[in-house]
Amino acid sequence: MMNTGLLLNATICFAIAISSLSFAWVLARSEDNQGRKSKPALWSLVVLWSLVGLTYFPTTIRMVAAYFGNHELDLLMYNLAAIPFSFVSVPLVFFIIYVITGEKKISAYTSMLFVIFGAAYLILLYSNGVTGPNVTIFSSIFTINSDFAINIYMAGLFVIPTAMIIGLLFLIFIQRMPKRLRYRTALPLVAISFVFDFMLTDMITLVDAMQLAARIFVLIGTVQAFLAYFPPLTLQEKLGIKKYQYELYEDELDEEEVDINV
Amino acid sequence: MSDDIDVNLEQKVAEFYQSLGIHQGPGDIQYRLILRVLEKNEGKITEFSEIREYTDPFADKGSIGSKMKTVFQLEGLVEKVKRGGYIITDKGITAANFLKDTSTFYKKNKRIEEIIERMP
Repeated sequence: MMNTGLLLNATICFAIAISSLSFAWVLARSEDNQGRKSKPALWSLVVLWSLVGLTYFPTTIRMVAAYFGNHELDLLMYNLAAIPFSFVSVPLVFFIIYVITGEKKISAYTSMLFVIFGAAYLILLYSNGVTGPNVTIFSSIFTINSDFAINIYMAGLFVIPTAMIIGLLFLIFIQRMPKRLRYRTALPLVAISFVFDFMLTDMITLVDAMQLAARIFVLIGTVQAFLAYFPPLTLQEKLGIKKYQYELYEDELDEEEVDINV
Repeated sequence: MSDDIDVNLEQKVAEFYQSLGIHQGPGDIQYRLILRVLEKNEGKITEFSEIREYTDPFADKGSIGSKMKTVFQLEGLVEKVKRGGYIITDKGITAANFLKDTSTFYKKNKRIEEIIERMP
């Protein structure tokens, strides 16, 4: 009965929830430093990371419930976590379309489409129900009964947004731009796709070790996103992306005169 | 091949190159407009008056005339075939193609700049 693996799982879920929510909070706090044009993108990221956090909070409770053998609470929390989870792609799609096109309206309409995808997934999930839980040493797993729900979810909620991220990354990589900007634009995207894809694995896998591994990677992705926005000084020095702090130097002598003096 | 000449765009591109310290060639609005007009009339005679239709807001007749002589004719980008009539050479087409690349570079650079601006 003492499945300590479940407690490890719960701890990882809790770490994901706390770190992504605090990341969302820190991002929201940085609003004043942002330009007018980047604010819509900033808020979509805040929503995205909040949804990740809100997915993993009930999941933490779910793992603890599984540890104590409370299957009703386990199921309840599974159903609760499914709500923020199925709308994770909405802010992400808004973010990518907005960054590429700069059109708020187009981005909003496109992301509305993903609200429909998410709602369809939820309706199918709730109406067809789930089987389980299958509690093992490391995790508690539900099997989604509706194959159609899984299909929607794979195609609509994950493949399209992931393809969009890859597209935007490609767009950034083929450009010549300052190293610092490249780091600042590419790393958050890599981190988001990391979190995003491993959340998918987490939700549909039927193997307990895989669920645990996926969650570890979600946690790594969250930390990576944090580093992308707030790189520590040592990392900045290593990658050569440190912004040199300088004051302008005004010289009365011309360069030629300096040459003569030498 | 090339459609109507967008004077405003040409001016913006020229200003962009000037801001990079490139004041001649791609950064020179007169050079840009003259070359675009000549390219548009590839295989035909370009009248000096047609060039002036585009360049008049930016420069007087004299400076365009001297630019035709000291840059375009001297470097063999055009050949003068009659009084006030020029025809673009193969070398001139090369210059015009380069000019197109500079416009593309400007647009690409601007697009990526805007993308970065929107990234939080």
